[in-house]
Amino acid sequence: MNEEIRSMQAEMERLGYIAEPAIATAVYLAKEMQKPLLVEGEAGVGKTEIAKVLARLLSTELIRLQCYEGLDTNTALYEWNYQRQLLRLRIAEREARDPAELEDLIFGREYLLERPLLRAITRREGPAVLLIDEIDRADEGFEAFLLEVLSDFQITIPELGTIRAEHVPRVVLTSNRSREIGDALRRRCLYLYIEHPGFEKELRILRGKVPGVNEQLAQSITRFVQRLRARELRKLPGVAETLDWAQALVRLHRDALDAETVSATLGCLLKDEHDIKATGGEAVEELLAYASARD
Amino acid sequence: MSAHGLVAQLARFAGALRGAGVRVGLSDEIDAAAALKLVDLLDRAEVHRALRIAFKLPRDAWDTFDRLFEEYWDGRRAPRHPALEHALQRERRGPPQWRWDGERVRLELPDEPPHSEGEQPGYSPEAVLRRKPFDQFSASELAAMERLMARLARKLATRRSRRLVPAPARGMVDLRRSFRRALASDGDFLKLARRARPLEEANLVVLYDTSGSMDAYTRVLLAFAFALRRVMKRVEIFAFNTTLVRVTGMIAPAKIPQSLTRLAAGVPDWSGGTRIGGCLSEFVNLYKGTMIDRSTTIVCMSDGLDHGEADLLVGSMRELRARAGKIIWLNPLLGDSRYRPEAAGMRAALPFVDHFGAAHNLASLEGLLRFVG
Repeated sequence: MNEEIRSMQAEMERLGYIAEPAIATAVYLAKEMQKPLLVEGEAGVGKTEIAKVLARLLSTELIRLQCYEGLDTNTALYEWNYQRQLLRLRIAEREARDPAELEDLIFGREYLLERPLLRAITRREGPAVLLIDEIDRADEGFEAFLLEVLSDFQITIPELGTIRAEHVPRVVLTSNRSREIGDALRRRCLYLYIEHPGFEKELRILRGKVPGVNEQLAQSITRFVQRLRARELRKLPGVAETLDWAQALVRLHRDALDAETVSATLGCLLKDEHDIKATGGEAVEELLAYASARD
Repeated sequence: MSAHGLVAQLARFAGALRGAGVRVGLSDEIDAAAALKLVDLLDRAEVHRALRIAFKLPRDAWDTFDRLFEEYWDGRRAPRHPALEHALQRERRGPPQWRWDGERVRLELPDEPPHSEGEQPGYSPEAVLRRKPFDQFSASELAAMERLMARLARKLATRRSRRLVPAPARGMVDLRRSFRRALASDGDFLKLARRARPLEEANLVVLYDTSGSMDAYTRVLLAFAFALRRVMKRVEIFAFNTTLVRVTGMIAPAKIPQSLTRLAAGVPDWSGGTRIGGCLSEFVNLYKGTMIDRSTTIVCMSDGLDHGEADLLVGSMRELRARAGKIIWLNPLLGDSRYRPEAAGMRAALPFVDHFGAAHNLASLEGLLRFVG
C-alpha cells in the first residue's frame, strides 16, 4: 500500500474515524487530485463524518451547506443585507452625499451576507473543507448550478463583479440516494460508496466511541447488530444506531444482553414501526443466541 | 508496466466495462489514470479500490467491475464479446410465462354494486357517476365519465414547486428584486417585488395491468390515461400483462374505441395472465435512467394477482422507490369491502407504495389528488 495512504488512514484513526483502506484511498485521491469527493451509502455509515475528520486532519474550517428541496442561491451563495442597506440609505438622506459614493458604500462587502458556498471560496487563511450534505435532497436545478461553481470556483455577483477562489476548497458531497445524482455531477467528482461496516470495524468503532462499554458487551452488541442487518428490514440500523444503543445500555448499567433489555431498547436500533413489529420475541431470541455464541 | 502500457491497459479495461453496460466516460478514464499515478501499482487491492473510486462506479456496478477487474488486471484477460453480456442479462429475466391457476377466478367481483347509495334520487348524474363501479357503465355513461376524467387529470398533472420564483402581487416579499427595482425610482419602494411557489408539471408514468382479471376496469382506466395524455405534456403509459409494452404512442386521446383496437393489436396477450414482477423489472431496467426522477409519480394500476416472482417484484419496487417521487398503486379490487391484499404480488409491493387506493369508481380516483397535489 502507498505510504501516504497508510499514513492518511492512521491519521484518520487517530482522530477517531476508523477508515478502511477504501475510504482512506478515496480521501487521499480526492486531496491529491483536487477533486470533490461524492460519498454515498446508507444512513448512519459515517458519510458526513468524513468531511469533519478531513477538516480536523487539515486543521481547517468546515463549512457546511445542508441541502433541502427548494434550496436556492440566496441561501447557498450570498444575499445582500437589505435591512442594513435600507437603514444606511435613510441615514444618508440627511447627509446629502454623492449618490455614486453612496451606491459604492451600500454594495460593499460589509453589506454582503456570505452563505456557505461564497464563504468557502473567499476564505483567506487557506482551503476550507466544504461539506455539501445530502445533495440528493436539493432540486436537480440546484445540482446544475453547483456543477458550475465546482468546476470554476468562481462566483459572479452583479454589483461586485466576479469573485475567484483564493484557495480551492476541498469539497465533500454526501448523498443518501433518495434520488439518483445526475451523471454530470458524478463525473466531476471522485466517488466513494460506504457500506455497513463489518464486524471487526464496527467493534473498533464501538470501543473507540463508547469507552464505558466492556469488551464482552461490545462484542455481543456488534454481533447482534450485524445479524440484525441480515434480516429483511425497511431501515437497517447504521453505526450511529449501534452507538446510540451501546450508550443506552451503558446508561442502564447492563453488562450483558438479555431479551427483556433488548425489547425495551429496540427503539435505539430500529426506527420504523413495521421493523420493530417484525422483530418480536422469537426474532430477538434468535438474534441473542447468535450474539452470545462464542466462535 | 510502462506508462504507455498502463494507459493502454486502462483503455481496454474501460472499454470492457462499457461493453458490460457500465457507464464509463472518457473523463473517468482520465481520472482513473491520474489516480493510478498516485497509488502503489504493485498492490493489487489498492489499484482495485482506486479504480473503483476514480471510475465513480455506483454500488450496483460493483459486481461487474470486480469480475472484469479479475480478468483484466491479472495478466490473464479473456476478452468477451459484448453481445454475450446482453444475452446473459436477458436470460436472467426468464421466459414470459402465463400463469392461471384458478385463484384468480375465486376472487370474484360482487354481483351487486357495492356502492348502491349512489343510485339514490336527488343525486346529480355526476355524483352517480362518481360512485358507480366502472364495470357497470353503459357507453353513454362512459362518455360522460371521460369528460369528468379530463378535469381530474388536469389537477393531477400539476404540483406546487418548493422553489420560489418571481410572481406578480402574490407570495412573500422578494427583497433582492424590490431593491433593484427601487434603484429606478431613487431608492423609493413604489412596488414590492414578490416571489411564490409556482405550479410545476409533474411527470407521470402510468403502468396498466391489462390481464384478464382486470378486464372490467381496463377500458375506463385507460380512458383515464387518455385524459391524462390530453392534458399533460410528460406522461408515459405502459401496458403490461406477460410482457411490457410502451403504449404512449398508440394512444390517440380523442378516439378511445379506435385506440383500444390498436392497443389490442399492439399489446400481445391482452386479457391474458400477469407477470407483474418480470414486467416491472423490465421497466426498471429499460427506463430507470431516462424516465424516472424525483418529480415523477408512478401510478400502477393492477390487482396484484401474480404468482411467484415476488423477489423480482420486490427488487423492482425498491429500485423505483429509490428514484421516483411517489408511487401510487391503484387496485380496483380494493373497492370491494371483502377484499384483502393477500395475493403474493400485492403483499410484496405494498411496503414500497406511498398510496394504496381503490380504483373502481371515479370517487376513488379523485382520492388520488391528495397524494399528488
